[in-house]
Amino acid sequence: MKLDVEKVKSLCRKRGTSLQALLQEAGVSRNAFYTLARKKSIVPQSIVTLAEQLEVPVSSVLDKGPTPKTRLMALVYEAHRTAAQHQDADPDNIRHTLILLDEKPVERLRRALRRGRKFDLR
Amino acid sequence: MAENLIFGDREAEFLKELMRQKVDFMIVGLAAAALQGAPVVTQDVDLWFRDLADIGIGRALKKVRGAYVPPMGHNPPMFAGDAVQLFDIVVHMHGLSPFEEEKEHLLKIPLGRFKVPVLKLERIIASKKATGRDKDKLAMKVLKDALAAIREREK
Repeated sequence: MKLDVEKVKSLCRKRGTSLQALLQEAGVSRNAFYTLARKKSIVPQSIVTLAEQLEVPVSSVLDKGPTPKTRLMALVYEAHRTAAQHQDADPDNIRHTLILLDEKPVERLRRALRRGRKFDLR
Repeated sequence: MAENLIFGDREAEFLKELMRQKVDFMIVGLAAAALQGAPVVTQDVDLWFRDLADIGIGRALKKVRGAYVPPMGHNPPMFAGDAVQLFDIVVHMHGLSPFEEEKEHLLKIPLGRFKVPVLKLERIIASKKATGRDKDKLAMKVLKDALAAIREREK
C-alpha cells in the first residue's frame, strides 16, 4: 500500500488548494511527506502478511477509529453533560463550541471570518 | 487556489513574518475568541502591538507587499495591501492592563506549522465587558458559554 502523491495533489486541486498549503495546514513537513511517498509500502510488512494469510484486504484488519455517527453521539453526550453543569448557559452555544474544539484553530477562524464577512456586522 | 481562502497562505505568512521579526504582538478580539473555539463571527483579525514603531512590523509588511497607513484625524492606523486587509490594528484594549502585563495571559495557538500569540478568552471577555458596546453585549453570552464548555473539556 503506497502513498499516492498524484491522488493527494488531485484532491488538493479539487479543494482549491496546493500540496504545499495542505502540508503547512496539516503540520506535515515536505520531508516527512516525500519520505513516506518513496516507501514501497506505508503499511508494515507484517500487517500485509497477516492480511494475505487471512485472504482479506489490508484495510480489513485496521481499525479506522470512530465513525462520524459515534463521534457525534459522544459530542452530544458531552454537550448535554456540560449544559447540565452550567444551567445558565445556552445549550446551543455549548454544542457549537464543542464542535469547533474538534476543528483546527485556523478552520475555526475561517468559519468566523466567512460568516462575519457574509453578514456585515460592523 | 489557496489564495482564495478567507485566511490563507498570505495572511499566515504575514503573521509568521511578524514572529520571525520578533515583533511583540497578540491576536485579540473576536478572532482570538474564535481561534480558541468560541462560536462567534467577525470581519477582521485584531492585532495588538506593544510598539507600533517596531521596525519589524515594516519588514513583515514589506515581505507581503503591504504598507502601514498612519493615523489621520479620527482614522486609526491601518494596514494596506491584499495580504493584510483582514488585519486591524488595535491601539488600546478597553478594560485591560498594559500590553506588558497582558502578555501573562497569552496562549500560543498553532496556525499550520507555527504558533501565534493569542489573548486568553477570559481577558477578551473582560475587555468586551469594559467596552459595553451593543455588539459586544451580544457577543458576551456566547463568549461566557464557550468559556464554560472549554473549561469543562479541559478538566
